Amino acid sequence: MSVANTITKLRYRYLPDHMIGEILSKNWIDNAIPFLVMVAVVGVFGTLLPNFFSGSNMEILGRQYGEFALVVIAMMVVIVVGGIDLSVGSNFALGNFAMLYFLNLAELPTGVSALLVILICGGVGLINGLLIGYMRLRAFLTTLVTLIIVRAVVDMLLLEYAQQMSMSFYSSPLWDTMGMGGFGPLPFSFAVLVVVAVLGHIAITRSRPGWRALAIGGSRRSAYNIGLPVRRIVCSAYVLSGMLVGAAGVLYAARLSGAGTDTGMGMEIAALTAAILGGNSLGGGRGSVAKALIGAVTVLVLTNGVLRLGLNSGSGPMVLGLTLLAAVFIDVRWLKNRGKLLSKVYVSPTLMEMPQPRSTEDGPLAVNDRLSDVEVIALGKVESPEDVILDENDYLYSGSRHGDIIRYAPPNYTEHEVYAHIGGSPLGMAFDKDGNLLVCVGGMGLYRVDKDRNVTKVTDETNRSTFSVVDDSRLRLADDLDIAPDGKIYFSEATIRYEMHDWPVDALESRGNGRIICHDPKTGKTHTEIRNLVFPNGVCTSHDGQSILFAESWGCRVNRYWIAGPNKGKLEVLIDRLPGYPDNINRASDGTYWVAIMGMRSPALDLALRMPGFRRRMARRIAPDQWLYPNLNIGCVVRFNDKGEILESLWDRKAANHPMITSMREHKGWLYLGGITNNRIGRVRLKGMDDSWSGWSSYWGKKTGGQA
Amino acid sequence: MIGAITSMLDNFLGRGSAAVTVPPMDGALKPNNSLEGLPPGIAAKAPGNLVQIDGAPAWSDGADVVSSSGTVVLTVGAPITALAVRNDGVIAVAALNGVLSIFDKDRNDITPAWTRRPDHVTAMSFGSKGEILFCVGSETNDPENWPKDLMEKNASGWVGAASVETGDIFVLATDMAYPSGIVQLPDDTVLVSEAWVSHLIVLGPGAKRTIVLDEIPGYPGHLSKSSGGGYWLSVFAPRNPLIEFVLREPGYRSAMMREVPQEFWVAPAYASGESFLEPLQGGALKQMGILKPWAPSRSYGLVVQLDGDFIPMRSFHSRTGGRRHGVTSALDIGGTLWLTSRGASEVLTFLPDEKGESR
Repeated sequence: MSVANTITKLRYRYLPDHMIGEILSKNWIDNAIPFLVMVAVVGVFGTLLPNFFSGSNMEILGRQYGEFALVVIAMMVVIVVGGIDLSVGSNFALGNFAMLYFLNLAELPTGVSALLVILICGGVGLINGLLIGYMRLRAFLTTLVTLIIVRAVVDMLLLEYAQQMSMSFYSSPLWDTMGMGGFGPLPFSFAVLVVVAVLGHIAITRSRPGWRALAIGGSRRSAYNIGLPVRRIVCSAYVLSGMLVGAAGVLYAARLSGAGTDTGMGMEIAALTAAILGGNSLGGGRGSVAKALIGAVTVLVLTNGVLRLGLNSGSGPMVLGLTLLAAVFIDVRWLKNRGKLLSKVYVSPTLMEMPQPRSTEDGPLAVNDRLSDVEVIALGKVESPEDVILDENDYLYSGSRHGDIIRYAPPNYTEHEVYAHIGGSPLGMAFDKDGNLLVCVGGMGLYRVDKDRNVTKVTDETNRSTFSVVDDSRLRLADDLDIAPDGKIYFSEATIRYEMHDWPVDALESRGNGRIICHDPKTGKTHTEIRNLVFPNGVCTSHDGQSILFAESWGCRVNRYWIAGPNKGKLEVLIDRLPGYPDNINRASDGTYWVAIMGMRSPALDLALRMPGFRRRMARRIAPDQWLYPNLNIGCVVRFNDKGEILESLWDRKAANHPMITSMREHKGWLYLGGITNNRIGRVRLKGMDDSWSGWSSYWGKKTGGQA
Repeated sequence: MIGAITSMLDNFLGRGSAAVTVPPMDGALKPNNSLEGLPPGIAAKAPGNLVQIDGAPAWSDGADVVSSSGTVVLTVGAPITALAVRNDGVIAVAALNGVLSIFDKDRNDITPAWTRRPDHVTAMSFGSKGEILFCVGSETNDPENWPKDLMEKNASGWVGAASVETGDIFVLATDMAYPSGIVQLPDDTVLVSEAWVSHLIVLGPGAKRTIVLDEIPGYPGHLSKSSGGGYWLSVFAPRNPLIEFVLREPGYRSAMMREVPQEFWVAPAYASGESFLEPLQGGALKQMGILKPWAPSRSYGLVVQLDGDFIPMRSFHSRTGGRRHGVTSALDIGGTLWLTSRGASEVLTFLPDEKGESR
């Protein structure tokens, strides 16, 4: 049993299950199935055919691949904008013929000829583009017509010139290199392909025209509505397609130096199959050069392989057709189910052994009714005041889920106004030395509201971790902050895997998804201080300024992290075994600290935390509303000292007056309470605390002396 | 072989028998807040089985039988689990200590020597021939331990008939998943509620079982006749997807039963929300201080009126966040409905026909 336990522990410590969900959320995962198919096809034919992997065969294949992949990229370019180009085959034949004509009969130099051919084929593309982009004709029919007409033109030209062309034989060093040579081991056409592919990849993924093309393919109407030049981009996609096909035709001419009626016959089907097989969506909006290249390998190996296996003459197209069918099928299923799969596997719980909680029956944590006569402020006027803070003039500030900072006027706090609008979900707050309000905003980052109510971004990113699958440099859920005496801002990011509205789901995982981040206003740099924390939440600079205290909510503990002095850089647990989930921490007037307990542990959930498999299945089988959750409907406020001793607790046994507590602030003898799911702010009179103490003066030294 | 593979596949994919689904509260069972809106009823400690004694309603409350006038009619040696009264005033009382006692109408103990010990009786009623028809919920768990019986997924209950005069006990049906309500139909067949499978069955001659109402969105309990010719069904706890899921998780379930106190199990209950140590589900998080009435809950108040063909006609509810949960019995006396709510420890009364339609 203990062996099995150890294995389970090791498995959850070292197997990064959560990466499955993260990988599935990446765009490049679309290539996974096409890539596997490609590997399988290459593997099968590689073993079936003798000498498949030999150098000479590779060279032949590479040369063909250079031409074919160019055509597939051409096809991909039009598919991405939501079109289709059936004329690639005949355009390819036209390019081949034109090249040979220019060299053999017009006797032009190789370079000029190639350029002319590319222009001619681009011209065919332009006709397609004008008809489809500007005249709004159907892509399928239009390119079918071009396919027939261009094929007819090529046939007529062949009838006229084939005789003459076969009499002469053109030769030049460049032409021979194109046909038979290359760069080192790379065949010429393959090298051309590499250049085109690299440029194409950059254009599609990192340039404005590429993004626009994808946007148009994704939704032509929306693209039009946001003002994209839809017609021009669609038209240029066809021109580009034609030019790429022309280049392929030139390379083909160089390789075979012959023009026949069957040149490029059926190429449109092969290229289409390759494009779809690679994972380019026929509906548009989803495609890449990598996909086109993968699909081209598969189709080329498949067609060549079938040919070399010596099967019946019909079997080549048959295999191609069946492959196309399978590709379309997989494409549809994948598109339909990827999101579903992702939502099922994203929640990835890990093993968490919760220690026995401290007693709430007796001792300092015993349940009492000290909060039952809380004074309620702004009932029904504020939503989600996660944190509250007061300035030196007794004004009360809170966030709201509408993205506002709301200010309430003393002494009764019945009047309130929107102090500043930030957006996002304002969470933890702190005043800096100059009285600027610093706010952690869920979904946005760390923001500053200065005394003139101007909102500026302080930081919204940190350094990316080395081995992260998803980009974790952006701040997803900045939670609470505090400022060290040297001005550095320490703040927590509760989780990097969930957005603001899903934050309790992170409790189901209970993995170290969070981090403590430090921003230095002097240098403007932000860096991650501590990683892999279990929902780090409230942050508070200790009274001596040597360390910060922060809560790890799902871990039910409060930690101390030394930022100065002899222990600098050391992390230690200050309080553990809390009976609930600690949230914000703030200073108390007598040199101790307040911590809000936002919810209570339940034995059933503690047990489930030990059983990640149970939680994983639960996340998959039942609706999120039905999941076993931490009990966030009741909480309390706890006071503790620098030694980690719990001194007292304040409860509302029925949780009626002030249902939930995520933060509290002591100010001049009162304790102000905030709660993220509340529609009110609470305050309660404290007995035996300093009536002149305020948070700001505790941090920045100036004694207030009753100037309020 | 194919069956085993299918079930393994189901288990992996969450299909078929592994699918966690709960019947919806819809149609005649559409939720309302009728029970919650009633004026305060008569306080009781643990109100259980409602019966009519000398024309007045009476109910079991712990070890006592209390009448609506407040007098204690009878007291036995242990908390009462089931109660029934014959037309001639004979009272049958089943208690937690496993004793089934019979009293005549002058409250004299006339208990015969039973041929078989009828332990863990959950419901009783008298048949047309004067015999006692009774349900034994489970062989192993007494009626106060019903959440344990559910979590153990037992089906060890049985239905029997006992002759008051001779003490003979006959078994009518065995291997039932917690039978907890019984009433004889006009044709002398017996209607039984089988709680853990959420259906009502009719036991015909030769122990033939016919399911007459299934897919009940809760655990059906006490049954009684309605004055209009149908039946009143008390549903003592709701079905809940999380609990259904836990029932399909043997590892978690056994650890929970071993380590967690019973009142904090992920299991249905008569009342919930009392302690913060109870399990809580995502939808039950309060937002802006409000608990949504459709939030998932471990307890619920529901009584359903069935017509003579066992089709639900209307229902009266106390929803999530309410107090009148855990309706253990209902009794219709001349159009006035009496209810016992274990969750609120209250005996309620109202005129259902004045409550309007609940559909």
